[in-house]
Parts: sequence; structure tokens; C-alpha cells
Amino acid sequence: MKAIFKWPERAAPADMSALGAAVIAMPVHSGCAVPAACVAVVIDSGGRTRRAQEGSRLQLAPGEAAYAFHPGPYTVDLVPFGAAPELGLRVGFAVDSADPRVAQQRFDLFLASEAHGPLALAHFCQAVEAALQRALAQGNLELPPCTSLTEWNAFRAGFNQLLYMRFGVTVEECVPVDLGESVDFAAVLMARTLEQAPVAQLSLSLPLPRALAAASDPLSDARALRRLFLELPCVMCALRLAVLPPGQLLFRRHQDLLRRLDLVSLAVSSMPALELSAPGVALAKHEQLRRIGHSRRAVAALDEAWALLARVQIAGAQQLDALFDDGARIVANLEYDLGERRMVATENQPA
Amino acid sequence: MSGLPDTAQCRSLLADGSRLTVTATRRPRLDRADVKCGAAGAPMLAERMLTVVRLARLTEACFDSRDQVVISIDRRPGPHERDWELAVVLADRMVRGVYRPQAPVLANGWSDEWQLGRVTGRDAIDAPPHALLGGPDGLAHLGMLTGQVDAAAAVATARAWFPLHSGGINDSLCWVEVSVYPLVREGGEEEDTIAVPGLDSTQQLAVRRALVGARHFDPRGLGRWRSVVRFGQRSFHGNSFELALVMADRLARGREFMPRGRIIATGCSSAWHAGRVDPVDCCEPKCALMLRHAVAGDRILLPAAWAGAIEALVQAAAEKGASVACIERIGII
Repeated sequence: MKAIFKWPERAAPADMSALGAAVIAMPVHSGCAVPAACVAVVIDSGGRTRRAQEGSRLQLAPGEAAYAFHPGPYTVDLVPFGAAPELGLRVGFAVDSADPRVAQQRFDLFLASEAHGPLALAHFCQAVEAALQRALAQGNLELPPCTSLTEWNAFRAGFNQLLYMRFGVTVEECVPVDLGESVDFAAVLMARTLEQAPVAQLSLSLPLPRALAAASDPLSDARALRRLFLELPCVMCALRLAVLPPGQLLFRRHQDLLRRLDLVSLAVSSMPALELSAPGVALAKHEQLRRIGHSRRAVAALDEAWALLARVQIAGAQQLDALFDDGARIVANLEYDLGERRMVATENQPA
Repeated sequence: MSGLPDTAQCRSLLADGSRLTVTATRRPRLDRADVKCGAAGAPMLAERMLTVVRLARLTEACFDSRDQVVISIDRRPGPHERDWELAVVLADRMVRGVYRPQAPVLANGWSDEWQLGRVTGRDAIDAPPHALLGGPDGLAHLGMLTGQVDAAAAVATARAWFPLHSGGINDSLCWVEVSVYPLVREGGEEEDTIAVPGLDSTQQLAVRRALVGARHFDPRGLGRWRSVVRFGQRSFHGNSFELALVMADRLARGREFMPRGRIIATGCSSAWHAGRVDPVDCCEPKCALMLRHAVAGDRILLPAAWAGAIEALVQAAAEKGASVACIERIGII
């Protein structure tokens, strides 16, 4: 019998109660209503996004995915220095309402390119912490011992801008806190003493460390390339819009960076598949690992590029020289890693 | 990349007592390898140098693919000697400005864990006193060049520097190092858990008093740690080292923001339990001394009473990339 009156397939409504507390964003299916106090972002197959307001019923075309996110506010504790675990920053942030001046909200782009499944607050917090620690280690943000009030304000300005440019969230408050109740550094050191003793004997039989296993995951290569594909045009767009003081030399450097970024973006969109060295010719496993490593490093350079854009937007005229030098370094790293990702080492193969 | 040298040299002692020189040069990369190592007639040695440099670079925060560094070694060490490894790593860092020493460096040390930045040991026995020696009793971790804590070690060790001023040519910066590890059995006096080897009893007492007072100011400082305090030089007078000591202690206990470079501090206190910092003598010569030795990333900490007299210092330090703060009390902000 023909199923003429078949009900449209309807997924059971997912549990959305964690949204706004432990989870920032969750995938939603077609036909579901956007939960209360949430906003939905619909992502099409090309990575373009549009928003749907709360209460509306989502109608997704084939190839589209949708996320519902709760704007917050959220509060997390970050550790700015890995070697100082008893000292933290308590950061309150929220996803702001849509900025009408930009074509695509940064948070929508973040969801489109980096979210895989539910976006847990703890996971997001790790990413923010990594970005903060990196900016501090490279000297792009300064948080020295006995910080004075002026230095703290400069840090706050840079940190707010970094989080907005990199993740699309707005920092509402940020205060230094003593994490001594939750983290006991003495116990951490004691645990290290205990775990170091047996490792020396068992080093051969240990399983692969988790970081190494993640580094050799082919999925990480695909995700890295997707991020580069989606975000590089937006980086270029933001760099093009950056307000610069007039001057022929600066203009030339700006144009040169944009031109090179354009070529990098082209290189990403024409990147060969991971497992092929030529059409129909498989690539050796260790070469695939090398390619994965380079695409991951290219993504690290992309993160640095977002951080650099944040610095450009609040920089004074006298800092621009150093910033453009750093930009040239980041673009050179992108060119290098993408070139290596594309390359097939011919000399290692049997002739 | 302005202001960086194109060439850097680092020396090392060989087992037969002669010195070898490691030379590193930097040039535009132009699609070449990131590091190139050369040793005349010893391809295995060049291979090992390349491995060491690449592993040690994994601990750096900033990656730059624009430059190629070429490293060469002028003598051939014996087949089983590894004491030159630290010199190669330091030369590679010096030529890229990651490490900026004030004087020519003589370095000896080897490691099995360069990827973690650790220096396992050294073989040199009769090295001169100014030599930089790797190993647990010397430079155990590359971060220690700027006083940082090794983020994976079971003993937290941090250093801070203070000016030694006597008005002569021997004025220099001296480091103070605090190592802490967890106290297993609690109870007893805090002063008994602090060891200060090598100082006379008066100075030992001063060190213990300052540390106990500053830990008292900290809500969870007391009764948790066994500590060892060491000084770069043993003969000095006065108590202007106290602020550096207290800052090194806070760094080691993981309760202070980390500077990118070194902490250079001078100051004392009659009330560390209140966290107060009092002024010390010789403001101008000490400021000049600290400024002379400061490099990019360093943090200079001075007592708040000096705030009126140091505008020139702040300016000059900012040009070098260092920062200055006059503090009234220790603690966050």
C-alpha cells in the first residue's frame, strides 16, 4: 500500500534544558521550534548563516544545519598562566544581540566553522583559555606581576577585543580571583611526584598520549581546512576594513598583506585531498600524518590572525609598524604551512 | 625584526678542556629549510644538532617561518660527548632574540627531554664560575633563564633578580631562587621548613622572617610548603633583596602573574605580614644598574616611595621593552 498519508519524519524533541547553563549552543532539527530565550543560527552547505528568532519553527533545506544558542550570560574561571594555577580570572561573558553594521555576526561564523555537536561551556572555556594563554605568552597582552591600574585597563581592552574578534562574545566583567579553594597547587605537585616515578619504567608500554592520537586524526585535517575555508575570507574582509592613518608606505604594506592572504585563501580552496598524492594514487600513511600536522599549524596561524585583527582595532598609530610586521609573519606562516600541506615529498618515494 | 643581531655565538667546554664555539646566523628563508646545521666532516653530529634545535624550538610560543638559521660548530667533540647541546640551543635562541644575554655565554649541558625544555645534566667538571651549567643544581629548565616555573616538574622553582650595589665595578644583578614542594607532615613552625643553605645565621634569619611574614599575608601560604632558598652570590649586605625573595616565592607557589622576562626588584619591609613595601637606600645608582641590565620583557618592581624620582627610568625601560611598577604592597593589583 502506498504511504500517501505518511507523517513527515519528526525527530523527538531534544533535551534543551541545559542551554544557558552548561551548554552554549545545541544542534536543532528541522521542524523543531526554537526554544524560549534562544536564538537559532541556520548554516547552509556553503557556510553562510542566517538567524531565526525564538519561537519560530525551523524549516531547513537539504544540506542545512541549525544551532540554537542561549545568549547567556555565562561565568567561567580562566587560568591565565599555566604555571600559576592558584590565580585566575573570573570572566562573565554573553553573546550580544546582532550588530546591524556587519554582514555576518562573528559568533555565527564561530558556530558554522568550529561547532561540532553541542557546544559545551567547559569546552568553550578551554578554547578561550588557550587563546588567552597564547596571547600572554607571545606578549600581545600584558599581565605582569603587581599590575598597576593603567596596565590592567590596557589588558582589559585587549582581552575584550580578543574575545570579540576570535569568538564573537562580549566580556561583561573580568576580575582576578584566588582559585585556592578549587585548586590545590601543593596537591598538584604531589600528584606529579607520584606519577613520575612509574613512568620511567613503563615508558615503552604506555598507550599513545591523547594529544598525539588527536594529532593523527584525519578528521582534524578536514576540520582545519573547513575553518580555513570559511574564516580566511572573513579575516581578509576585516583587515580590508581596518582604519589606518594615511600614508603611502602603510597603504602598500596593507595591500601586500591582502594580496598574499588572497593567494592563501585560493590555496585553501584548491587543497588536494588528504589521502591522495595524485588522482588515483594513494599517499603513504606517514605523509598523511605530516599533512595533518601542517593543516593544524595553519589553523594556529589563523587564530593568531584573529588575535592580530583585535590588536589592530585598538592600536595607536605608533604600534602599527610592529603589528604589520607581525601580520607579515602570520601570513608567511600560513603560506608555508599550506604549501607543505599541498606538497608531496617525491624524493622519499622509490624511483 | 629590527634590532636583532644577524650572528650570535655561544661557547662550550669540551672534555679535554678546550673551548668550542657555536655560531648561529640568520638569513631570509627563500624556501629553504628552517634550520641548517653544519659540522665539518661529521654528518652525524650535524644530524644530532638539528634534532636538538628542532626539539627545543617546540617550547617556544612564537613561530616564525620567514628566517633560516644556520648553525655551525668549529671543533669536533668526542663521539660520545653531548655537553655542547645547551650551547647550540642557546645560540639558536640568541640569534632570533628569544634569549638576550648581557655578556658572552659559556654553556654546558645535555638533555634527553629538549621538547619539554628541560636540561638533564652536564659533564663539565672544572668550568669557570660565570659559566651557564645545565642540570638539577644549575639550569634545570630553559625557562629558568628568565626565572619561570617549569610547568611539568614536581618541584616548583622560580627566580627573581635584585641589584647588588656597592659603588664599584662589581655592581651586578644577583638572583634569588625559591624552590617549594609540598609539606607531607603538617604542624611545627613555618620557619623550620625553610632552608637557606650557604648563608650565615643572621641572614638566614632575615630570609626566614621575610618569607614567613609574606606568606602570612597570603591567605593560604602557611603550613603547606617545604622551601629551599638559594642566592647567586653569598656575600652581600642589607635587606634590599627581600622584595625579590618574596616575589620569587609567590611565583614558585603559583600565586602571581608571570612576567615574560625576569622580575628585577628591590625593596624591603618592616611589615611583610601586611604586604607593605618600604623604600631602600641608593635609589639612583640602583635604578641605573637595573636599567643597564634590563632586556625586553623584564619587569622592574620598585617601592612606591620612589615613584617621584624615576620618570626617566620608566621612559628608558619602555624603549627597551621592559616595564616598571612602583608598588605600595604586594598581591594582585
